[in-house]
Order: sequence, then structure tokens, then C-alpha cells
Amino acid sequence: MVARRKEKKSQNRIFIPLEGLNQTLENLSKHFTVWVPMPSGENEWSLEFKPLHRGCKILLDRQSTLPPKKVILPQGQTLIEYEYKKSESDPSKQDLVLREVIDESPIIVFGTRPCDVRGFLVCDKVFLQGRYIDVYYRARRLNTLFATLFCREADDACFCSSVGSGPADMEGSDIGITPIDGGWILEGLTDRASEIFSLCDCEAPDEKQIEDARRVQEEVRSMRVGNLRTDGVLEGVKGQFQNMELWRDIAESCLSCGVCTYVCPTCYCFTITDEPQGLRGERLRSWDSCMFYQYTQEASGHNPRPTKLERYRNRLGHKFSYFPLRYSGMIACCGCGRCIRSCPVSIDIRQGVERVREAHHGCVCS
Amino acid sequence: MWSEITKKLQETVQNIMPQVEAVIGWERGFNEIRIKPVVIKKEGDISKLVWNPFCVQNLSGYLVKSPAVIPREGRRVAICVKGCDSRSVTALIQEGFLKRDQIFIIGIPCSGTVDWRKVMKRLERSSVIHRAEIKDGRLMVEHAEGVEEIPLREILLRRCLRCVYPNPTVSDVVIGETVSPHIEKEDLYKDVEAFERKSLDERRKFWAETLSRCIRCYACRNACPLCICQDWCIAERRDPKWVTQKPTLKDILLFHGIHALHLAGRCTECGECERVCPMEIPVMFIKEKLNETTLRLFSYEAGIDSNLVPPLLTFNPHETGI
Amino acid sequence: MEEREKTKNNTEMRILGFLCNWCSYGGADTAGVSRLKQPTDLRIIRIPCTGRMDPLFAFKALISGADGVLVSGCHPKDCHYSVGNLYARRRFEVLKDFLPFLGIESDRFHYTWVSASEGQRWQEVVTEFSRRIHELGRNPGFDMNTNLVNSEAR
Repeated sequence: MVARRKEKKSQNRIFIPLEGLNQTLENLSKHFTVWVPMPSGENEWSLEFKPLHRGCKILLDRQSTLPPKKVILPQGQTLIEYEYKKSESDPSKQDLVLREVIDESPIIVFGTRPCDVRGFLVCDKVFLQGRYIDVYYRARRLNTLFATLFCREADDACFCSSVGSGPADMEGSDIGITPIDGGWILEGLTDRASEIFSLCDCEAPDEKQIEDARRVQEEVRSMRVGNLRTDGVLEGVKGQFQNMELWRDIAESCLSCGVCTYVCPTCYCFTITDEPQGLRGERLRSWDSCMFYQYTQEASGHNPRPTKLERYRNRLGHKFSYFPLRYSGMIACCGCGRCIRSCPVSIDIRQGVERVREAHHGCVCS
Repeated sequence: MWSEITKKLQETVQNIMPQVEAVIGWERGFNEIRIKPVVIKKEGDISKLVWNPFCVQNLSGYLVKSPAVIPREGRRVAICVKGCDSRSVTALIQEGFLKRDQIFIIGIPCSGTVDWRKVMKRLERSSVIHRAEIKDGRLMVEHAEGVEEIPLREILLRRCLRCVYPNPTVSDVVIGETVSPHIEKEDLYKDVEAFERKSLDERRKFWAETLSRCIRCYACRNACPLCICQDWCIAERRDPKWVTQKPTLKDILLFHGIHALHLAGRCTECGECERVCPMEIPVMFIKEKLNETTLRLFSYEAGIDSNLVPPLLTFNPHETGI
Repeated sequence: MEEREKTKNNTEMRILGFLCNWCSYGGADTAGVSRLKQPTDLRIIRIPCTGRMDPLFAFKALISGADGVLVSGCHPKDCHYSVGNLYARRRFEVLKDFLPFLGIESDRFHYTWVSASEGQRWQEVVTEFSRRIHELGRNPGFDMNTNLVNSEAR
């Protein structure tokens, strides 16, 4: 047994057969919370990441509707719990009891795609760099592992190759998953992978399977998803900032709802509220969206982004100009296409970027 | 058939263009099954306009929601409407948000619009869609992995399968031939009735499970042409604070309760709330119940007669049994 | 039967009463001044008029776990503001019909009319409504602390 274990520890690749997936992940779930993509309802097309439970339906055949963002940035995250208690020394007074909530439990996200992980690489810049480190984000981020698919499921909305990523981009992932006939080959990419493989209780792949996987990976590596050009948009947004006709053209049909931001792996904006319940309560960090009027509403009543046009300009500008300018050129968009796909009025951010470039180059020429 | 109507539509717009400020219609989106709204302001753009069963959006919201397309004095805005959309326009006129003489309504009889998610569900793997064509009640999708043929009825939106007003109820010009409704009017609320035969516990469980998917993106609210509070919705106010930011079922249900009860007796069942939901929650079902109630209690249907007052905005002192 | 009644009555229910300032609140006061015996489950909130009563007040209370909501105002045609209660009664009827659709018993919501002089009637209304709520038992509501969206993540 010991010997077998040792042998397993050294392996850097394992094979999971089709029918063995649930069992393998259930083995892992004794040590980790395992998040997998599954249908959000019985007959629904949409997928979302949820913690694994016995007999659940794991679907790896298409991109999830909601990204795994909430694993690390939950929609509502308690930062502090508070309670007013009668003071022991002076009964006429109340003491405030505070408790910080930091979650460090280990997590594996299984079945992410390169774009999903890229989203966290963008968020890392914001939460883990510079003078202020976000302890809540860090606690979860450091304790989360990603097992990422070599992605073969690009559709019309995908454009990951255009924003510095690609369907075979394994940056930030700990394990690479290659779908082959009859199952998946898992490949360790970081030191943390071998520990997981030893818990999986799976066989090593044979030569043929390794060869199959290599071929699939090669195929995926050769794919270029999307043909958006982003050169010039950095200055373009600045140059076209006041050109409201352009922004009207791009965002006139926007409904000002939060779909694009909530399905986006890189949109990290949040709001902080105190949610009391009698004498106790919590300080909550929850998702916010720059597409909402309240997002920029000031206490005076003034709102610097009064209409959807300014708000859409901000979303596009932030992703393709302000963020890269601040963080050494990294575009804050992972090209997953979720905002395009889920938009109720089919607004295409790629088209927006193109319009900005056109308008800008037009300006330069004339 | 669709290209003929598209052609007629473009001709009509060409003719009225000199008299109108803008035309609100549909254009092709990022692929053939995704259509998006467009506001045409100059003649050169008229060729963008299309009409086919992928034209899902109800455009009437653009007439009233800021920054709305508002005509200058003495001019009009033209808008393309399907049967369901025309009821929203009537409801907006009814409630004083629009003036009838400010708008030019281009009505298009509609035999049902397509739910893109149902199409994607039929494709084995998500892939690039090259071409989509509807012919003889069937949709042909050519995609990167092959060709799929699907009977149209199987991919229509739920709202369309229970449509009783496929033809515009109000219009200045109608393009295309009158179509017959999908169901009889008596059957309109049979889903509601079937649901009400379930036990209270089952009903509560259904909503708890279904609504737990909600991410509160407020798309259902913002897509609703009759949710006219817009940026001042009580679901987002801090004072008074109705709904917290906590993602609990109670808060989600409260939001949907706010949405539904504010639409009681006003909802025209255009189904936009349900169509736009990224999590595929049957949001309109809640409103169907309220419409069933207002129909039974007050014999009132929203968005049919612009001279009537919605039942909850008025009263009748002689009412008995209430 | 009496025994059951008694055990049920041992736990106090959470019943909310929304009373209009001009009639029913006076009526409840009359009942109190006349020392009429009433159940103690009701918590009264005074509103200017039943026309001010947003159905969402009752809706929020019921999904948050209140066991019952009672609304009472001036008799129709006797409204201090002439017609407030006539608007209100349509809204209440709609709400009452709507609640069971979500799985909440329609009997948990009740509206009625009590004038300032009807102390006796107020006693009857409260007693009857409290009895009915006790019969229905606790409202399971929609658990306010179930964090469904991220329950696993928390």
C-alpha cells in the first residue's frame, strides 16, 4: 500500500475514464470542496459552477453561463459579523463584539476553461498587488486550485486569442485536462498537482492515451479564437471619450442591466453594506455593476454617469484602456464572450472596440 | 418569406423616413440567430433593418426609458412592433408615458420568435454558427460541426407558445399577413391553473428552487417596458431599505414580488423578463398569475384599450363581492 | 379538542396588524379602554389610511416568516380621505389571490373594516383572526437566512 502510494505520488499524469469522473471527484471532495460545472436547473441550458454532491451531473461539454468567479469572489461575502451585547461592567451600556470572517478552506475548481482562470489573473492585479492586499480574496485565492480544460468549444462569441490568452493557455492553472476518447488525461502543471493525483486513486495513462492527448493539445494550440484587433484602443478610448455620438452608436440599445458584469470573469466591482438583523448583523461585500445608476450615484445627488451611454463607455474603457494603462498592458477582458452571449439585446463588445478604433484612426488621419 | 417582409419593411421605412425622427427596429447581431435592436436615423442605414423569427426584443421600452428616443415638436418616432409589443405600446399610452400622435407604429404579425438557448441546446457541441434559415416551419442551422434541422415549434420561446395576440392590436401600417394565434384564449392560463392544483408545499418548493438561481442582475426589470421607475427602483434604494444585498432566497423573492406586484394589472405579457433572464428562470409565470387574477376579478386585460384605466389605479365604489 | 386548543395557544404567534389612524386604530383603542379581552399575538402598526398600505408590506412580512397579517380600515364610503380604502380593497384582493401561488396560505392575510366606535367588533376580529392563525400554525416562510446562491461558498 505504502509502496503503491509512493509510486502514485511521483506520477504527473493520470487518466480518468468517462464513467469514473464522479467517483474520482468524490474521492477528492473528502479533502477539498470540489466545484464543478453543472446544469443550473433540470432542463436548463445554462451551466454554473456548484460544489460537487453525490450523483450530480457534471458537464464539461460547453462553457458555463456563470464563470467560477463566485468561488473566490462570492456574490455576497461576509467580511465582519457584529453583535451588540450588554456590557458586563456597565449594564447601561452595550459592547460591540466583532468577528472577522476569513475562509481558508481548500478548494478545487474542476473543469474551468482558460478564460475562466484568466479572469482570476486579472482580479489578482487588483486584490493582491500594490500597497493594499485584500485578505479575504487572498485567503481564498491561495487555497484554490484550478483544473483547466484544453478548450475545443469555441463559438461565435469567443475571442480569447485576441486578448492575450487562448484555448490552450494554462497560465494560472494547476492541472491541465485533455479530453480524449473514453475519458480525460489530467496533467500536473504545478507542484500542487501531485498531491491531488495521489488522492484521486486513478491509473496512469498508457502510451496511446498520452499520444492522443498530445494530438488534442496540439490541435487546440493551433486554434486561434477570435480576430479582434486591440491596437490603438488604449488611446482610442481617451481620444473618443467626449464623442457621445460614437457611444450612442455603440450602446443605444443597452438596457442598463447587470448581466454582462455578473457573467464576466474579470468584473470584480463590489459594494460594501451593513446588513443588520436586530442587535446583530454583518458587513457584507457584494457584487456591484458599473451598469447600474446607483454605482456612481454620489451623496450630493450628482451622478457623473447619468445614462447608460456613460456607463457602457466605462465598461469598455475600463477593460480595454484604463486597466491596461494601469497594470502594464494587461487587458481586463478574458475573451470568454459571456457578455456577448448573455446580453438580452446582443450588444457585442468586440464591435464596440472596433468602432472606437475606427473612430480614433479616423480622427488621426483627418 | 422573411426576406420579402424585410424588403417591404425597408420600403415602408424609406417612404416614411422624411416624416420621422428615427425608426426603432431590428438588425443582425453577431450571428444569424442573434438579432439586436437598432435606431435608424439616416436613410443610409435603412438596409440594416431586418424581420425574422429571431427578432425577439420588445422595442417599446426605448420610447420611454432614458435616454429615450423622443421626437421634436410635430415629429414622430417610428417603431416596429410584433403583436405582443403593440400591447406594451398601448399600455404606455394608457398610462400617459407616450402620446399616440408622437409615434408611428409599424406592425408586423408574428408567428413566434425563437429562443436561442433552445437552439444551442440542440447542437451537440457549442460551435460557430455559419448560417440559419427558417423554411416550412423548420430551422436549418449550419454550424462548424455539421447541419441541424429542428422543427420551429420546438425552439419557440415559452411566451410565443401561449400567444393569443400575434397580430398588432394597434398600428399605423401593417406589414405581412395576419396570422392565427397559437392557442385559444380560454387556454391562456391553463399553466397557472395546473400549477395551482399542486399543494402549497410543492409550490413553495418550486419557487425556492427556481428562484435560487437568480443572480439579481435586474435584467428582467430593465427589459420590462412597463417598469418605468428605472434608476429609482425601490429594490436598490437604501432608504427605505426593502431588499438587502444578501444573496438569500428571501431577498430574491422579495425583489421578484416587488417586480410582479408593481405590474399587477399592467403587465402585457410580452415575456421580455423571462427571455432576458441569463439563468432561464420563468419570471413571467409570476405575472401570469397576477394577470389571471385581474382578468377574473376585474375583467381587465392590459394593453388592449388605450381608453381604459388599469384596475389597480382606479376603484369602483359599487363593487360587491370584493 | 380543548386540550389541543390549549397547547396550540401556548405559543404566541407573530401577527402584524396594520390599522388606519382614523377608524380601526380608534376601534382598537375603544376595545382597550372598554377592557375587552383580546389575544396577545397581534402587533399593531398605525398607518395613515389603508390606501397607504402597500401590499408589499404584507408580502415582505409573510415571506420573512410573520404568521399572519391583518389590515383594518374605515368602512367603505367612510374613509377619512374619501376613497383610500376603495383603492386598497382592490389591491388586497389581488394580494390574497396571489399569495397561494407562491405557496403561502391565503388565510394568513386578512383585511376588514372597523370603525372607531366598534370596540366590540374589533375584539371579535382579532379573536377570530388569531384563532385562525393558531389553527394554521407557524408560517414556514422562506427561510431568511438560507444563503442559497452562495450557501456552499460561505
